Amino acid sequence: MKRLILAILCLVVSFATISEAGDYPDHPIQIVVPYSAGGGTDLSARVMAKVMRKYLGKPLVVVDQPGGSGAIGTSGVSHAAPDGYTLGMGAQGPLTMLPHYGGIDYSKDSFDYLALMGRNLILVAVNKDAPFQDGKAMIEWAKAHPGKLTVGVSGAGGAPRIATEGFASEAGITVKCMPFNGSAPAITACVGGHIKAVAAHPAELVNQSKAGNLKILMVMEPERISLFPNVPTTKELGVDFTWAAWKGVIAPKGLPADVKAKLADALNKTFKDPEFLKKMENLGEFVDYRNGEAFKKLVDRDSVVAEKVIRSLNMYGMNAKKK
Amino acid sequence: MDYMQAILQVLQPAALWAVGVGTFGGILIGAMPGLTATMGVALLIPLTFGMPSVEGLNMLIGIFIGGIYGGCISSILVKTPGTPAAAATVLDGYPLAQKGEAGKALGMATIGSFIGGVISTVILACLAPQLAGIALKFGPSEYFSMALFGLTIIASLSGDIIKGIISGLLGMFLACFGADPISGALRFTFGLTGFSSGFAFVPALIGLFAVSEVFVQLENILDDRIKKIKISGVWPSKKEFKSCIPTLLRGSLIGTFVGIIPGTGSGTASWISYNEARRASKTPEKFGTGFIEGIAATESANNAVCGGALVPLLALGIPGDVVTAVLMGGLMIQGLAPGPMLFQEHPEVIVGIFTGSFIANIFMFVIGMLGIKYFSMILNIPKKLLTVAIVVFCFIGSYSINMNTFDLYTMLGFGVLGYFMQKFNFSQAALCIALILGPLAESNLRLGLLGTDNDIVAFCSSPITVGFLFLSLLSLVWPLVRAFLQKRKAEANTVESTL
Repeated sequence: MKRLILAILCLVVSFATISEAGDYPDHPIQIVVPYSAGGGTDLSARVMAKVMRKYLGKPLVVVDQPGGSGAIGTSGVSHAAPDGYTLGMGAQGPLTMLPHYGGIDYSKDSFDYLALMGRNLILVAVNKDAPFQDGKAMIEWAKAHPGKLTVGVSGAGGAPRIATEGFASEAGITVKCMPFNGSAPAITACVGGHIKAVAAHPAELVNQSKAGNLKILMVMEPERISLFPNVPTTKELGVDFTWAAWKGVIAPKGLPADVKAKLADALNKTFKDPEFLKKMENLGEFVDYRNGEAFKKLVDRDSVVAEKVIRSLNMYGMNAKKK
Repeated sequence: MDYMQAILQVLQPAALWAVGVGTFGGILIGAMPGLTATMGVALLIPLTFGMPSVEGLNMLIGIFIGGIYGGCISSILVKTPGTPAAAATVLDGYPLAQKGEAGKALGMATIGSFIGGVISTVILACLAPQLAGIALKFGPSEYFSMALFGLTIIASLSGDIIKGIISGLLGMFLACFGADPISGALRFTFGLTGFSSGFAFVPALIGLFAVSEVFVQLENILDDRIKKIKISGVWPSKKEFKSCIPTLLRGSLIGTFVGIIPGTGSGTASWISYNEARRASKTPEKFGTGFIEGIAATESANNAVCGGALVPLLALGIPGDVVTAVLMGGLMIQGLAPGPMLFQEHPEVIVGIFTGSFIANIFMFVIGMLGIKYFSMILNIPKKLLTVAIVVFCFIGSYSINMNTFDLYTMLGFGVLGYFMQKFNFSQAALCIALILGPLAESNLRLGLLGTDNDIVAFCSSPITVGFLFLSLLSLVWPLVRAFLQKRKAEANTVESTL
């Protein structure tokens, strides 16, 4: 028995060493999600992993490494070996916002950008009994009642917060951002009338909007979206500010060129696969495939805007080590 | 009749199989420290992609219900809470098992979970739309006052009141580590990225209860005698069961209520139920020594949360806790958006979920009762081996939650802390409650004050808040009042007898 086990072990080891020289990928690929299991990013990654297997021929394993608003998992990806076996879900917050607060051991330049998966648009919604029921009225109400417009957001430094503050400063109003522990509690508080408005993503708001509990006032996009064709854009309201969160696939910097090409190709096919698109539509995710180069451009642009907003909130470098 | 059809579709062999497998898998996941019901549901969502929606959903619900129940197994047998929900079960379950009544402890836990689950499912099926409104009544001030009420449990739970307060305050202090919930600034993280979320909850619990126990065991591990713990019968005696009935009912109602309020969960419910059972009991001093009512209280409450948490999810599209939030993702992938529209558009799915949770509870009961004999065999493993195995599982469990090495330091640190707390008679339960409720109280107090411009009167003005604040006050002075009344009664008796 013992000899048999030894023989099998030898065989496995020899296979492992032989395949080292073979084509990429020769064993499962790990995808680090910097958020908890069951969230939007996690579910999208799981859908992606299932479909992408078709194109890569090896299973993809989703590993959730939550904490620190995404900093812990993203930092983990930046320190992994750039061999194509550790990829990460790159999200807007950890890549373009957290570095500006300081106390983070990576920057947006620590990664290779493979493909943008989709964008999470930002909508502003109000309780059905709020004193204003359209975007113009909200801005006027906020001007008449400075500091009284309470807007629920998913967390202190996340995308809805930055978007709301950016919108407010462009519109010339002051809002009071209320950071809840995630989007769901913020939306619940708005449905219950404990806060006036909430800024969140379409998938999170669609149920409450359909049920008539919340009215969606605006979308922070240059153009109207098909999911809510009657909702005006911020531009239509006369405020020149657009914002959307996003997620894509990243890898530690320094991926070999052939591995990078193979991954980019598989991601391109996956993000256009009907099965993937159907599942993502059910989840309320807005798929917006872009290649690595376009993805990087988006990251650079948002990082600049986020830095400006964060500086105006006096939050720049607040977590950096005091020298 | 449509409803009959909807019920029958869950009774199809394939659907029953899905529920059964889900429940069994959930029990295993719950029993493994570090694998929680949340992770179980999240991991299996992709598996349900290819299934018909009712089968897939009921499999997830089976995992949910089995997972919350399964936590009690490792709590009772090896003092390692498999899930936060089962932390309170350690208090009476572990001592009872050490007395040689492991079978009865697990039996009561199973019965309690079953009753809690069934009662909350019935409430869910009958009153979901009516009760869901409660979920919306809770804003920051209501959450804060409820958390405050929960924290008063420390006063009645800790024996030595000064030591209890010290443990509670220490717990609240440790809960402050990590990102500030309102400003996002990092507190006490010493510039370590891995620590930016503070002490993770499950690793802290595993350290506090399991690792500290390992340290205690180490002191006499060289003692080679194997203490054979006999597995007694699994059914509690008629008398014991009768005395537990009020506790079971109370626990089920508390669990359902706490479940309905979003953002709380089974951990909170089991502590509140434990405290209420103790307060209502004629023999509160027996709690914590292996008292069967203590198990009935916690297990009925934490399983009742399952049904309760489904109420706002199905009726309003608002998840009641973390597991149901994940479950909501599973529903949406199937193209079913939970909320009032679901009742109108897909009543068959709603009925299917009600029936499925009912069946999952029955499966849980049967599997649990039949399994007790096998689960309990753990206790016949020589202490030396068992202790080593527990240490290994503590490490695996703490790491698997967040895949963060920092959580391992958290676990060890809390293990050392728990060991000394045990040695010097500080209440580990008080620390645990403060860890659970401290963050809830802090973030909601600050959110509420932010909303009212620091006006404390406006903050405390809602009826629910006032109610909970009053209950907190009552809970604090009640032990004094009762001691006073007993003293007067005793005095009256002595006066009578001397006359």
